[in-house]
Amino acid sequence: MLKAKNSLGMIFFPAFDWAISPTHPEREERLLYTQDQLLEEGIFDIEGIQEYKPAVATTEDVERVHFCFPDVDSIVTRSHYISAGGAIKAAQIVMEGEKQRAFAMVRPPGHHAMKTVLGSRGFCTINIEAIMCEYIRKMYGPKRIAIVDTDCHHGDGTQDVYWHDPDTLYISMHQDGRTLFPGTGFPQECGGPKALGRTINIPLPPGTSDTGFMMVMERVVMPILEDFKPDLIINSAGQDNHFTDPITNMNFSAQGYAALNTMLNPDIAVLEGGYSIQGALPYVNLGISMAMAGLDYSHVREPDFNPESLKESQDILNYISSLCDAIPDIYFNPPEKTSDGVVKDGWSVRHKNIFYDTGGFSESQTESLYLCDDCRGILKVETGKQSGPRGLGVEIPRNACKHCRDLALKIVEEAQNKSSNRYVQLINRQDEEYIRYGF
Amino acid sequence: MLLLGIDVGGTHTDAVAAGEDGIKARVKVATVHENLLSSIQNALEAITAEVDPGLIQQLNLSTTLSTNSIVEGKVEDVGMIVSAGPGIDPYSVMPCKNYHVIPGAVDHRGTETSPIDSNALKAAVDSCVADGIKVFASVSKFSPRNPSHEKTMQLALNGKADFITLGHKLTGRLNFPRRIATAYYNCAVWRIFNNFADAVSGTLEKTGLGHVKVNILKADGGTMPFQLSRDLPVQSIFSGPAASVMGIIALCDITQDSIIYDVGGTTTDIAIFVSGAPLIERDGIHIGSYPTLVRALKVRSIGIGGDSAVSLQSGTVRVGPNRLGPSMAFDGNHPTLTDALIWKGSCHCGSIEKSKKGFADFAAKNNISPDELAEKAINTAVGTIHDETRQLVDEINQQPVYTIHELLENRRIVPRKIYMMGGPAEALKDSIFQKFQLSTEVPPNYDVANAVGAALTRTTTDIELFADTEKGVMFIPSLGYRENIPRGYKLHDAEKDAMSHLLSHLGDLNIASAGENAEITASSSFNMINGYSTVGRNIRVKCQIKPGVVRTYS
Repeated sequence: MLKAKNSLGMIFFPAFDWAISPTHPEREERLLYTQDQLLEEGIFDIEGIQEYKPAVATTEDVERVHFCFPDVDSIVTRSHYISAGGAIKAAQIVMEGEKQRAFAMVRPPGHHAMKTVLGSRGFCTINIEAIMCEYIRKMYGPKRIAIVDTDCHHGDGTQDVYWHDPDTLYISMHQDGRTLFPGTGFPQECGGPKALGRTINIPLPPGTSDTGFMMVMERVVMPILEDFKPDLIINSAGQDNHFTDPITNMNFSAQGYAALNTMLNPDIAVLEGGYSIQGALPYVNLGISMAMAGLDYSHVREPDFNPESLKESQDILNYISSLCDAIPDIYFNPPEKTSDGVVKDGWSVRHKNIFYDTGGFSESQTESLYLCDDCRGILKVETGKQSGPRGLGVEIPRNACKHCRDLALKIVEEAQNKSSNRYVQLINRQDEEYIRYGF
Repeated sequence: MLLLGIDVGGTHTDAVAAGEDGIKARVKVATVHENLLSSIQNALEAITAEVDPGLIQQLNLSTTLSTNSIVEGKVEDVGMIVSAGPGIDPYSVMPCKNYHVIPGAVDHRGTETSPIDSNALKAAVDSCVADGIKVFASVSKFSPRNPSHEKTMQLALNGKADFITLGHKLTGRLNFPRRIATAYYNCAVWRIFNNFADAVSGTLEKTGLGHVKVNILKADGGTMPFQLSRDLPVQSIFSGPAASVMGIIALCDITQDSIIYDVGGTTTDIAIFVSGAPLIERDGIHIGSYPTLVRALKVRSIGIGGDSAVSLQSGTVRVGPNRLGPSMAFDGNHPTLTDALIWKGSCHCGSIEKSKKGFADFAAKNNISPDELAEKAINTAVGTIHDETRQLVDEINQQPVYTIHELLENRRIVPRKIYMMGGPAEALKDSIFQKFQLSTEVPPNYDVANAVGAALTRTTTDIELFADTEKGVMFIPSLGYRENIPRGYKLHDAEKDAMSHLLSHLGDLNIASAGENAEITASSSFNMINGYSTVGRNIRVKCQIKPGVVRTYS
């Protein structure tokens, strides 16, 4: 009988009764064949591997991370609460020492959900990784966390949530934004003024296969991780780089995903995208699970797997190699100024227009970070759907200085009295206070 | 009309004859391990001395034969022919020497992605035949979705095997390693079980019971017809605990979430009832080193029983898990839990005098008062039972679910009542009540509840139906049934078909079981999408005859 080298907790929640719409790629059937494959392989019978029931995230778990307007319950479905709860369960298993690793194979995904949430973008509503990370920090103290996003789409949501956080390293490898939704994720996007070099984007050309991905892992991801020395490594395990995925153009294989996972050696993996539900997910999920458990995955391969025909051209490899030369510098010698935003009255201000492709509306947003010399600074977001009611969000970071904390509370108080904002939300991480006004 | 139940246990073979209005006869004979048949013979003779053999209609038999053969390794060599395809290395689940993996693959939807390598297949068969193998198992990955590889392997064995187990005939549930282990065990005990079955038939003839219909107990709290058991002997493993649980159902009126204890000599079996119905193990029972797909009631065995040794280790009183011979009341020379209960006056069996003297001597030798020793021993035993029970209930409440509805509506099991049976049950009752503060009941005839359970247990069976409207097929793997369906086939049609096949299967087995015990246990339908359009539905339905008893005496 097989025994896992690393004990692994798996949270498998296929949400068999939830979908955006009956024919949407993110649908009930999505994890059905994965479940069949995992059951047929008997993976839960392997010594050291155990399946767990997801937790259900609370409104507070969501409010600890997101400015949600008009409020959490009017945007978030029960399925999102469970999917975020699945990630939280994964964290509990690892942090409590019950298992060495955990894989939350849950849906719906979350990495396109930004700091401010007015609806759904790219099949995501709330950022389940971020909700998990902040749950970890609340329950188990401050942690340096590295999130490595291997989904084919740029994780613009996770990037946005952690844009100003120097204690969270966000690395995203994805298909070049010039060729795929959401159209972002370029190297010059490397973090806000207080967290420069903590966001690392690696846009890869269409057609990248196992060799290219592993080159990036070896020459960019691993050296940076080694320097950052995170307490925890999280893998946002999107599986749509697969050569059979219907909505992307990459050539990654189950073997490649498993090898990447072995090298990355994450404490926790959380499933993101992946829409080749028959040809890829069963094999990729099996490969990743086995790699996390330290088991031999060499027999896991897709029925139509032909490594020769998937190989990237020399041109592509040369291009990736040049990226590998340039990108580490962004982390090791970050630029002095952030790529977007202007400084105004001691605040670093940037304006954003965010399109919600699932909801079909745009959000207009002004985000400001108070530039404090003594702490990370408070964050202020003024936002609203076009021509809709405006909302204000203010966040006090955990290590805020007294001046910033008082300033934030003053802004919130004034906003209640005389601002044009219909809704006001305060995230006070220092006092564990999450308050909404005007609802 | 009488129903006979025989439970061949580790120490005793119990038999009862159950009538319409109560138990008409009950006997206990010693089990002869080397010769289980003689134990059955003795039990039959004893019981027919008390009731008219002509009135006996049915015999339900629970035997440890298959279990013991496997545990003791007295099994026949099996030739295993396996088609695995991609996934976990098939050699990691190799249960025996003559194990051959043939290239070929079927995927999760039952599509053949690579045909069987016929040369490799022929070489494997030849090699097994050269080794003198006579029984074979043919198992392929995803065979419940498409058994064609198993059938190809069966054809290659034509004329060369006394018996072949096909993986998909065991169950429609998925789990390749378990299917391999289950098929292996089924072959390994096939001959020994069939020889035993022949002998039982012979004995019945001789005892004037040739007319009696025989069923074999299964671990899931049901029976299967004797004839069927000859092809599926693996289904008879670990039926003992199931008999006890069914006995409790027959003797008590259980309606709430409850805990059942069967306190034996060496172990206590714990079972959990939800709203009056026993819980079934999600996957299947473990035997030897392998988990199987044999359906079973969820029963946990812990090392506390009447014969568990009482010992002192640096001042701490321990009970079990080892057994150092019988209780002092029965001429043993080490005190047991039973002796502790006798000292406290809650148990009256064997030689009370001998037990009390031995117990007091042991206490004196260890510088502890016999009162304190007895009290601590009982508290320790009850404490262990309590902790293990809580753990089991927690585990059950933690079991994964796959839909939002299940997760949010899933109610927690909260036991409201305790039922106890087995030798020391009556003696332990008060201590258990004190510990749990839950109503605790020990029914009359608790000491032969297992045989009562055997006698009254109904036939159970379960099937899984799959339909794929894109491919236009519906199939029930365990019945080997397959038919074409129209594109408009819906979940409702599948549920109707599953039920009617379940009932007609029972009809084929000559069981006039009432349809009211049939139930759908799981049913789901998924739209299958290609691009952005629906191309069909993937439908899955499970149904079963509920485990239960034909009548109760509560």
